[in-house]
Amino acid sequence: MTVRHALLGILSQRPGHGYELHEAFEALAGGRALWDVKPAQVYTTLARLVDAGLVKRTASPGDGGPARHVHEITDAGRAEFVAWLGEGVHAEHHRDEFFLKLVLALTTGAADPVGLIKTQRTTLYRDLHELTARRAELVRSGDLAHELLLDKAIMHTEADLRWLEMAEARLGDMVECPLSASPPKRRGRPPGREEHEAPAGEAAGNNKGASSIKESDPCRS
Amino acid sequence: MPIVETKGLTRVYGEGSNAVTALDAVDLAVEPGEFVAVMGPSGCGKSTLLNLIGGLDAPTSGSVVIDGRDIAHMSEAEVTALRRRRIGFVFQFFNLIPVLDAAENVALPLVLDGVKAAEAKATAIEWLARVGLQDLAGRKPDELSGGQQQRVAIARALVTDPALILADEPTGNLDSRSSDDIARLLKEVSVTWGRAILMVTHDPRIAAHADRIVFMRDGRVVDDTRIAGAQEARDAMEKVGLL
Amino acid sequence: MSAQVTLAIRYLKGRRLRTALTTLAIVFGVMLLFGLNGIIPAMVQSLQSSMIAASGQTDLVVTSASTGLFDAAVADRVGTVEGVEAATPVLRVPVALAPGRYPVGMLSIIGVDPATAGRVRPYPVAEGRFLSEEDAKQDLEGGEATKRPAVVLPASTASALGLEVGDTLEVPSARGVARLTVAGVLKMPTAPGNEEAYMALPVAQALLGSGDRVSEVDATVKAGVDRAEVTRAVQRALGSAYRIGGVEPDSSLFASIKLGGFIINMFGVFAIVMAGFIILNTFRTVVAERRHDIGMLRAIGASRHTIFGMFLTESLVQGVLGTALGIIAGWWVAKLAMAGVGVISSDLLHLSIGRPVFTPGTWVLAIGMGVGVTVLAALVPARAAASITPLEAMRPQAGDRYEKAATHRAWWGVAVIVLAVAGLLSRDTTLVGASSVVFLVGLALVTPALVRPVTDAFGRAIEAVFRREGGLAKANLTRNAGRAAVTASAMMVSVAVIIALLGTFTSVFDGFIGYIDKSMGADFLAVPSNLLLSTGTVGADAALVTAVKSTEGVGDVATLRVGRAAMGGTGLQVIGIDPVAYSKVASFEYSEGSSEAALARLGTDGAIMVNGIFAAQQGLRPGDTLRLETPAGPRNYTVVAVATDYLNAKLATAYVSQAELEREFGVTTDVAIMADARPGADRQAVRAALARTVRDYPQFALYDTREWRDLQVATFRQVYGAMYVMLFVLAVPSLLALLNTLAIGVLARTREIGMLRAIGSTRVQVRRMVIAESLLLASLGTALGMLSGVWLGYSMVDAMNAVGFKMPYYFPYDGLAIALVIGVVFGVLAALVPARQATKLDVVAALRYE
Repeated sequence: MTVRHALLGILSQRPGHGYELHEAFEALAGGRALWDVKPAQVYTTLARLVDAGLVKRTASPGDGGPARHVHEITDAGRAEFVAWLGEGVHAEHHRDEFFLKLVLALTTGAADPVGLIKTQRTTLYRDLHELTARRAELVRSGDLAHELLLDKAIMHTEADLRWLEMAEARLGDMVECPLSASPPKRRGRPPGREEHEAPAGEAAGNNKGASSIKESDPCRS
Repeated sequence: MPIVETKGLTRVYGEGSNAVTALDAVDLAVEPGEFVAVMGPSGCGKSTLLNLIGGLDAPTSGSVVIDGRDIAHMSEAEVTALRRRRIGFVFQFFNLIPVLDAAENVALPLVLDGVKAAEAKATAIEWLARVGLQDLAGRKPDELSGGQQQRVAIARALVTDPALILADEPTGNLDSRSSDDIARLLKEVSVTWGRAILMVTHDPRIAAHADRIVFMRDGRVVDDTRIAGAQEARDAMEKVGLL
Repeated sequence: MSAQVTLAIRYLKGRRLRTALTTLAIVFGVMLLFGLNGIIPAMVQSLQSSMIAASGQTDLVVTSASTGLFDAAVADRVGTVEGVEAATPVLRVPVALAPGRYPVGMLSIIGVDPATAGRVRPYPVAEGRFLSEEDAKQDLEGGEATKRPAVVLPASTASALGLEVGDTLEVPSARGVARLTVAGVLKMPTAPGNEEAYMALPVAQALLGSGDRVSEVDATVKAGVDRAEVTRAVQRALGSAYRIGGVEPDSSLFASIKLGGFIINMFGVFAIVMAGFIILNTFRTVVAERRHDIGMLRAIGASRHTIFGMFLTESLVQGVLGTALGIIAGWWVAKLAMAGVGVISSDLLHLSIGRPVFTPGTWVLAIGMGVGVTVLAALVPARAAASITPLEAMRPQAGDRYEKAATHRAWWGVAVIVLAVAGLLSRDTTLVGASSVVFLVGLALVTPALVRPVTDAFGRAIEAVFRREGGLAKANLTRNAGRAAVTASAMMVSVAVIIALLGTFTSVFDGFIGYIDKSMGADFLAVPSNLLLSTGTVGADAALVTAVKSTEGVGDVATLRVGRAAMGGTGLQVIGIDPVAYSKVASFEYSEGSSEAALARLGTDGAIMVNGIFAAQQGLRPGDTLRLETPAGPRNYTVVAVATDYLNAKLATAYVSQAELEREFGVTTDVAIMADARPGADRQAVRAALARTVRDYPQFALYDTREWRDLQVATFRQVYGAMYVMLFVLAVPSLLALLNTLAIGVLARTREIGMLRAIGSTRVQVRRMVIAESLLLASLGTALGMLSGVWLGYSMVDAMNAVGFKMPYYFPYDGLAIALVIGVVFGVLAALVPARQATKLDVVAALRYE
């Protein structure tokens, strides 16, 4: 729950109104263009934090307008925030939507995988174009923190593009044996090969057989 | 009207069984002020394309039309003059004359074109200022960093007010930070000064500065995409990892 | 300034060391060419002015076709010809003054007829008086000052001799030292170094022992009369035995000076051609190095013309700079050399030489060759540069495409060599000289094709010393065979010239020493110190030889007399000998088909012997008949032998009996006396006695023959010393060529050397690699140079033999040894700087080097 901890972090500096918190979050994340969090989401999250006793809400002395609430972090909230800082963050790049599209296009035949890749590349390049343009603006304004954030985004996009190129280059191989790596069938290897394997454990057999298979089988090399 | 247009541009090196088709019937048009990146694996023909457009090499067949004239029908002197006045070159290895200082290097195309030395130098210093090097006009190339040298080379490419800049891996020999600077400078060249740029690169990050990317493989154009479109990019960004 | 000029100057400035080295090569060439050419005209001019002094001041000058003296009565015949205003006889003979007596070595004795001389030429008097008819009656023997004959000197001569009106002038004469009183000083311009003394004709005739004969008749033409018409009339009146016009200088002496000039010019041309090689080499490398720059320049819009112009401008700047510096250096060389040569020439030839003379031709030659060769040498590389396409700027360096062209050129070279060999075999000196240049050019063309095989041969030796680096060095050389060949060619030319010239010199030296031993067999010699018998020597009358014969302890005595004749318009000296007396004290060097027996036949009527040069010039063989113009008219002789004596080996000479010489030439004075000591006599005592006898004749120097031989050898050595210096100077450019090539090689391989260092080569190994390469290159050039040098030297000696200088061929062991030393020393020396450069290389920077 990233937004929740970020709000704790903001509150740990000083108390604030709901809309102030929304603005502070946007400034932290690099603006609406980079991470668009709706005010409603901020209010809902704040309510949950109050429920959890991490934040307490007090009415502010209104200056003629409608009454507003000021949020303040509790000691428990501070502890939660520090604990969050101390945790590592998993990248989880393997949960990839485009990958799913590509494999499904291959298995179902519902779309042309080559066209898919082309579209994806265009998309990624447009992203990259946008990111580099934005980064250029940040360089001009001297916002180093968000420049670094954009560098991260740019680098990941570059990596995605590189992967896309690799996927494109090996698309033919994937078409030949798209299912060999498919978990539901649980076949492991094509039939007939088991005769040559030593009766030892699967892992050992894999290692031994690897050298003989590598050169001929595109699915394994 | 496009500033440059190729039709069925083909270049074959060698003969008979040794023949290698470096470029295979490429049709490409670049509009004024457009920033086009050409990408592809090495040996895909992207440098050959650039050389043919620059009149450095002659096509086996097809045509290169610059300013409405086919350079295949020009004499060598005319092509040389065209290079001098309408095309600016930026190379990977900066290619500055080591014995001339920055201002003299920039002034060189003008001097070669017969412009008076003082006038050429004044124009050169103007352009050096535009690429941010006004203070280094008197330095020799070996007293400049790689990025600075490439800036000088870009100023030199611009000094004759060309309509088209041809850049061959302009950042290929630079560290990533300088590369970024140079790419942004090229972007500025197309946006602020309205020059068309045809740039060969293998670096996606540099290519991303362009308006359009042409992908080549085995001497053919396999994809030609416009990537500058603000809204689509924003949409795409939401999908790709930033949410 | 246009783009190419700016670029050219910047590139030159950017590579100062290389520019300096290349320019230095031109400086050397031009220096030799200009400096040496300044010396030759100075010598010729001094000679000419001493010989033909003021002949241009009269309308007509009549001389004998024999170039010798003739009857004074001819003047009367000229005077009666229609259109002639006045004619006067003149006796003009250059005379060597007693060594050390005056600051001047040579003086022209001019006898004029006081009665008629003034009608032909003005003699403006500055001080004292001009000659009067009274002076013609004075006796030379007059002992008292008042009765001495008068002499009148031009102002410059008077001051050169340090004499004033009333002083006494001492000159050698046929009868011993003659003393004359200076009666007047003339306001007359004389050429520098050409001193004159005017005296009454009978006085001069007595002084020179020339009887009633004169050397020329000067005449003036009546006003308004066609001079050419009068000339023809005079010619008709006198017949073909006389020539009308200026006085002809001694053509054979001039020929030998011109030959010297030709050889010296060859030095200069060799040096410049080498400079051309060096420039060619440098520019080729420069073009290779700047390929990226050139391609880029072309890409941004420089035309081929601009690139071509840039290189030509660079060469032009270097050519002009090198030529200017070369001319300055040459001027100094000439000045210093003149100081040195001046000593020799005034000792040997009694010829005072003035300042170096730079004729317009010399300027044109020096500037034309200096600038021309530089630009020419840059032409090919510049054209190659202009043909580089912009595309090549983007490509990595192309490999050498030289090998194919080299084979092609090698065949041209073979053709050129064949042509040169034909020339060398012609046995004609001029042709041999020219062919030797052509030969070297041909070899230079063939060299590229020889690089690989010769390098392979030497590679083994080098690898024995530099076991690890030798192979690499060899590979480096053969990889760039063209560059290696050009460098080796420069080295080859140096070495070949050194060996050939050393071989030739030594052969000439040995040959001449042989002449001395044969023809100077007598124990004592009284000879004119200038060694040229027919010029500047006042003979001695019979009194001297009689005195010599009667000197205590003297045995056999033989003398030489000299007259002049002409054959087919070419002058020669005619030596008179007494066949019987001569054979007792000396001998000749006989050429093929001749023998000692011929000497006895010389006494018979119409017999003549000729020396080698003359025989070669005229194609004479024993038994042939020849027709000589003698002062008494044309006369036929039969050649009895071809033989040469030492004193006259250098000039075209014929030998007749003294009786014949007296009859036909009217010569009775001796110019050289050879005497043997009687067996058992005390040599020292005899010498002392002879010295007393000869003392009155200061034109003669008395020598013990052994001592004289040593003196001759020493003189030769002196000349050789100068030659060695010149050879060294000639070799220096080849050192530059080596240095240049190696430096460029290291530069071009910066990246490679960096790689070698990176994978673990030590600095020492890199240095050894460069030195090994240098040694290989040097040995290649030296080997080729040795072979061609020996062959060239042999051809030259062969040609000398053909010309009549019979001499043995000397195999130039010392030359080969010197060449070997030069090869090794230069090889190591040239490698020092580049090797240091290579070892000091920053590995990281080198690997990044583009």
